[in-house]
Amino acid sequence: MKLKIWGARGSVPAPGPETMHYGGNTSCVEVTLSDGSTLILDAGTGIRNLGLALPRIERPIHILLTHLHLDHIQGLMFFAPLFRPESEIIVWGPASPEASLRERIGRYISAPLAPVEVRELPAAVSFREAEPLEWQLGPARIRAQSVNHRGPTLGYRVDDGDRSLCYIPDHEPGLGAPLGELEDDWISGFELAQDASLLIHDCQYTDTEYPQHLGWGHSPMRDALEFGHRTSARRLLLFHHDPLHSDDFLDSLTGDVAERWTGLGGRPEDVELATERREIEIAPAEAAASRP
Amino acid sequence: MSAQKPLELILARNLLSSISTPAFLVGEEGTLLFYNEAAGALVGRRFEESGTMSAQEWTTEFGPFDANDQPMNYDEVPITLKLREGRPAHGNFRICVAGGHHEDVHVSAIPIVGNDSASGAIVIFWPLNEEEA
Repeated sequence: MKLKIWGARGSVPAPGPETMHYGGNTSCVEVTLSDGSTLILDAGTGIRNLGLALPRIERPIHILLTHLHLDHIQGLMFFAPLFRPESEIIVWGPASPEASLRERIGRYISAPLAPVEVRELPAAVSFREAEPLEWQLGPARIRAQSVNHRGPTLGYRVDDGDRSLCYIPDHEPGLGAPLGELEDDWISGFELAQDASLLIHDCQYTDTEYPQHLGWGHSPMRDALEFGHRTSARRLLLFHHDPLHSDDFLDSLTGDVAERWTGLGGRPEDVELATERREIEIAPAEAAASRP
Repeated sequence: MSAQKPLELILARNLLSSISTPAFLVGEEGTLLFYNEAAGALVGRRFEESGTMSAQEWTTEFGPFDANDQPMNYDEVPITLKLREGRPAHGNFRICVAGGHHEDVHVSAIPIVGNDSASGAIVIFWPLNEEEA
């Protein structure tokens, strides 16, 4: 299993010379499974470039949405395969008692926000509510679980052979109580992330910024690292960078991130800040056991 | 590790941790999953000391008690019956408070319903006012 980051920015696209390295596109991750098939995690603005790069394939394209905040669906309407009649696209996302997934996404892909309606899209598009579901897609077992963010939000786990990926890009597991004071089963998303070969996790704020954003649904660096450590994730990719965080600012955090991860018993090479266009081959989670 | 708690219970616990009104968080089978500091002060025992308790354990220790000061069976408490119908409930009950004596309190209970089913309830305790006491 391997992945490519097409957008790692949180909240709103932040293009410009000061974000050229980490990227300005919002959440989108391409996952290539062991049989060569593709999964897409979230449809932020990064999915536009992914759509242009995807070869024309006969297989259905599965898009797994964690939630419907704009930074996770904004690119959907600019995803080239949606405009190809031969495409089959299945969009998964959280259920809500208020309206179906199709209706809620239709609020964005409809007038006056968009020039087209969902029913007018040339591709064969279907919508499936993923909670509380576990299902098989090709060689991968997919699990969705509600996690602590604002509004119905899912985290996803993809298990493919001996490799596993956990994706929780918007998450505030330490809301209400410091993570260190909570038992494992009381931590949002814990089971989903446990022993993952690779954990992609929210790290929108620094510890200093967090008190001004308490309850906004995002993690400070200390909670992202603590969550990765507590769940024994083999490798941690810090994600959903704040739009105000420039390349220089994020670069200035990398030393601290590595030092703190090492302090928790991890290896410095197993933690990094997500960078747009970065490709990662996911290794088995065997190394987790070797950690102190 | 026991099974991951549903998100709605995690959020409910977070809420109870942050308020100064005495409150219990009860799971689907009546297990006392958590109570906050204010409830700990009311019953004279901190949650960190007691930990999770079965329905029988906590009703024996904390109540409610009937008119003869005997613990009521959890399955027969009117509030339990209402919660099992997915309804909120309110009533007056006698409980064991700090110091070991029995005291009457108001109790309000709200069912917690997750995505697919009920997962527990928040039970809030209110002292009687001066006229009621």
